Amino acid sequence: MRRSAALLITATALSLTAACSSSASPGGSATGGADNGKVTISIDCAPPSSRPTQVQQWNDDIAAFEKLHPNITVKSIDTFPCETPELFTAALRGGTEANVFYTYFTDRQQVLDAGQAADITSYVTADTLPVKDDILSSVWAPLQAGGKTYGIPRENYTMGMIINRKLFQQAGLNPDQPPQTWADVETDAKKIAALGNGVAGYGDYSAGNNGGWHFTAEMYAQGGKMVSDDGKKAAFNNAQGLAVLQNLQKLRYTDNVMGSTQLYKWGDLQKQMAAGKLGMYIAAPDDITYMVQSLGAKYADYGMGPMPGDSGPGVGTLGGGDDYMFNVKDTPAQIKAGIQLVSYLWLTEGQGQQFNYSRSKAAGQAVGIPEPQLFQGSTAAKDTQLKTANATMSVAAFTPYVGANVPGVTEPANAQAIYKILDNAMASVLTDPHADAQKLLTTAETQVNQVLANA
Amino acid sequence: MSATRTLINPAQLNRTVYRTVLILVVAAFTLVFLGPLYLLVTDGLKGTTEAIQTPPTFYPHHVQLSNYSQAWDRLSISQLLLNTLWYAFGALAFQLVFDIGAAYSLSKLRPVLGNAILGLMLATLMIPAMVLVVPQYLTVLDLPLLHLNLLNSPWAIWLPSVANAFNIYLLKRFFDSVPQELLDSAAIDGAGPLRTLLSIVLPMSRPIIGVVSIFALVNVWKDFLWPLLAEPDPTKQTLNAGIYSLSLGVPQNILIAAAAISAVPTVLFFLFFQRNIMSGLTAGSLKG
Amino acid sequence: MAVLTASSGTDSSPARATGRPGALRRSVQRNLAAHGFLIGAVLCFACFSWYPMVREVIMSFQKVRAGRTTWVGLHNLNQVANDPSFWQAWRNTAEFTGMALLLGFGLPFVLAVVMNELRHTRGYLRILVYLPVMLPPVSSLVLFKDLYNPDSGLLNRLLHLAHLPTSGWLQSPNLALLSVVIASTWMNMGSATLIYLAALQNIPGELYEAAELDGAGLLQRIWHVTIPQTRLILSLMLMLQIVATMQVFVEPFVLTNGGQGVNGSTATVVYLIYQYAFNFSNYGAACALGLLLLLVLAGFSVIYVRLNRRAEA
Repeated sequence: MRRSAALLITATALSLTAACSSSASPGGSATGGADNGKVTISIDCAPPSSRPTQVQQWNDDIAAFEKLHPNITVKSIDTFPCETPELFTAALRGGTEANVFYTYFTDRQQVLDAGQAADITSYVTADTLPVKDDILSSVWAPLQAGGKTYGIPRENYTMGMIINRKLFQQAGLNPDQPPQTWADVETDAKKIAALGNGVAGYGDYSAGNNGGWHFTAEMYAQGGKMVSDDGKKAAFNNAQGLAVLQNLQKLRYTDNVMGSTQLYKWGDLQKQMAAGKLGMYIAAPDDITYMVQSLGAKYADYGMGPMPGDSGPGVGTLGGGDDYMFNVKDTPAQIKAGIQLVSYLWLTEGQGQQFNYSRSKAAGQAVGIPEPQLFQGSTAAKDTQLKTANATMSVAAFTPYVGANVPGVTEPANAQAIYKILDNAMASVLTDPHADAQKLLTTAETQVNQVLANA
Repeated sequence: MSATRTLINPAQLNRTVYRTVLILVVAAFTLVFLGPLYLLVTDGLKGTTEAIQTPPTFYPHHVQLSNYSQAWDRLSISQLLLNTLWYAFGALAFQLVFDIGAAYSLSKLRPVLGNAILGLMLATLMIPAMVLVVPQYLTVLDLPLLHLNLLNSPWAIWLPSVANAFNIYLLKRFFDSVPQELLDSAAIDGAGPLRTLLSIVLPMSRPIIGVVSIFALVNVWKDFLWPLLAEPDPTKQTLNAGIYSLSLGVPQNILIAAAAISAVPTVLFFLFFQRNIMSGLTAGSLKG
Repeated sequence: MAVLTASSGTDSSPARATGRPGALRRSVQRNLAAHGFLIGAVLCFACFSWYPMVREVIMSFQKVRAGRTTWVGLHNLNQVANDPSFWQAWRNTAEFTGMALLLGFGLPFVLAVVMNELRHTRGYLRILVYLPVMLPPVSSLVLFKDLYNPDSGLLNRLLHLAHLPTSGWLQSPNLALLSVVIASTWMNMGSATLIYLAALQNIPGELYEAAELDGAGLLQRIWHVTIPQTRLILSLMLMLQIVATMQVFVEPFVLTNGGQGVNGSTATVVYLIYQYAFNFSNYGAACALGLLLLLVLAGFSVIYVRLNRRAEA
């Protein structure tokens, strides 16, 4: 009797020990110290294997960087998308982020609450980040808190209107004149939808908290804001908010130019656009890169206009971006190496992931998209010059967007909770012909106030 | 098999009525269960535009076989599939060993505190998996006492799968119905508990083990949020989580093609083994 | 360990036959063996269920700010109870569970009874019913999302060709929940159907014959023979179904692009938990809501156990 008990205990103990000894090492903990001047850093958001060209370019850049800094070893972690909410939250709770980890500008509060971001203020120098002073102060702002710097920017964008130039031409419209106002959007969308074949003139989001996100962008274009300046009350239940919903209502039901399928979120409209089934939607310029790289679209088919407003380009538009932050457990040497790496990969003209225009051109990638909008002064001038010299696409297709220069406004605090509520208003005006826009706004206002009061 | 008497006496059954019902049932089943699968296969053959066209086409007008090879390459389905099978069968093995052991102990050996332990186990059925996911993740990162990190290793799926109260409950209920006299006479013959389990209890329990095995495999196969968190490395993901995280990166027709490919191996598996699975289920009694 | 193994050789020693000390030893031995069989499962439960559960309860009374964890008492519970979609989420969860029980619990039983009566094509039907279970759920959901698409979906196209009214399905506030239940039932009912079928095949034919001699009609035979004979498995599946459907997440999450639907028509409690945990980065609130759901599920199971006990008595 006891023999079998002993056997079982032994078996269990053995299997548990086996479980333990064969376990993987932690994803990106601060193991690589600065022994003998050697530093190991892990960085996430490397391109996924489904994009072989980008993987090759990434590996080349990492190899070049390691040659330049022989004491630094880089461990790349490929992730797509760069940030998945579930994984990001879990990693923050467990402290398992990479040494150098990707975040959106809007994640700052969450990362700081979790106590996971290293204060890098004293490491951001002209030595580690040569372009430091040419980065726009509006780009630095979302990466700083209480006078301390927590991140190095990677991209910065403002939203505008992506148009399908091919459909514009087919509909007899001038693709170099994208719409400037919502009235223009209506006129153009009607002509495009008239092409038939299930082509929609205009598309918008209404699910996955993306509806509220676009409501916010369109609200900024009307000159409105989402919450009061003290952040305690909703500020969208007014004529401007009503205009946002009524514009959409008109496009969806009066003009019937948006198709009947709604509840779209990020990724859906891109698929429609890439397949030539959609004329216009609101997005940042790098959506075009995504459509080309992942969905087989062609650069020449797209252009951009400004975020449309009431009587001309929008008063403002939603701006945002992403950046790299540094694990709070990083050693000073790792932080320093990390800043140098981000600087090399993302912030040096003529090299790295986004400014090696000649390599991009040779690889058949797009050069000429007006993003990122990071710099001022001599770096900005150099960027324009290099970009123009290597442009693979008609820069003219983006002139209306760049020329209008609609200022970007950042997202409100508690953005996701507010977006979730406004998803309802967006979904209602897009799926219910009898939706009462005013009532929807009032309900949303009450709910947002309730959420803010309890935050 | 047709000799057994069921709800309706075959002798009294009107042949025409039976034939009509049979044809109707077969037609309805085929439509309901194969219809969507037809769509799965054919949509994966359509071109990018045709796949999201309004109105939809009933069959691909321009067959594009390359979708399937693209899906295979871009989503590295073979890797995801191997991972999933490895996790699923490993979890099955662990569950069979540990859960049968536990159920046997609780049912027949009745240790001190056995009922309290069973109660605690059953209580876990009530915890919403969604909230447990983060504390569980924190535990897997740093296993209590042992301080090991199981992230990105199959153990992160195998070991938590053992904590399945439903399986233990099913097994215990079944073992309870094994007559105590049989065990007593085995004990008189000098058989220890392990031998009794192996030579008396298990052979009688084939049906319930079949049921538990199906649950074990299907659970791993269908789980979504946990494998997504526990295996963040793209080369270690399960099919389910992998297809979800890559669904944004490819056009709709490629995504559908990937879904179709992912269905093939398991459907084949079931076709081959369905007799074993079914006989496992029917071999003994499951009545109350 | 070595000591244990070595001493087991004394198992057949005369000491067994002696009085009180022997009984004590036997009891110790028996318990050792029993706990030996239990230990694997208990360790797994301890690591991956009980310990996380305790942490979950603790976290529901805490908040993390700037890396520091503080006790906030009932603040989190208060916050989720004041969430504008709190009650709607509970209503939807109840509705979803009700519909899923009608379809997901009832339908497989009906199918199994019908399949058990057919003497032909049973193997084919069995394969058909089980096929969807074999698909990765995300694949099936991608497929259903396409099928339900009001513009390019085949469902509306077929209805249109048959001159029947079409619908927005997932984006219609009235049908969204039902659409999700239908997809979920299609995906999951194979296992239940096969298990019922196995149980039905074990009902002795004489019981039906006897019932028939007593003059029982078709429905009476189902009520008095089929259901009582399959009661154990039916009641087990019922409990499993309730617990599982109250925690449904993936289906609405994938089908309605995030889980909320139009006007929150598919928002469930678990969806709210997900939003708190992963989108609002408010883990304390997620745990608090999870605690509430846990209490409700526990309530259900107490009722279940009571009913079961009464039925058995």
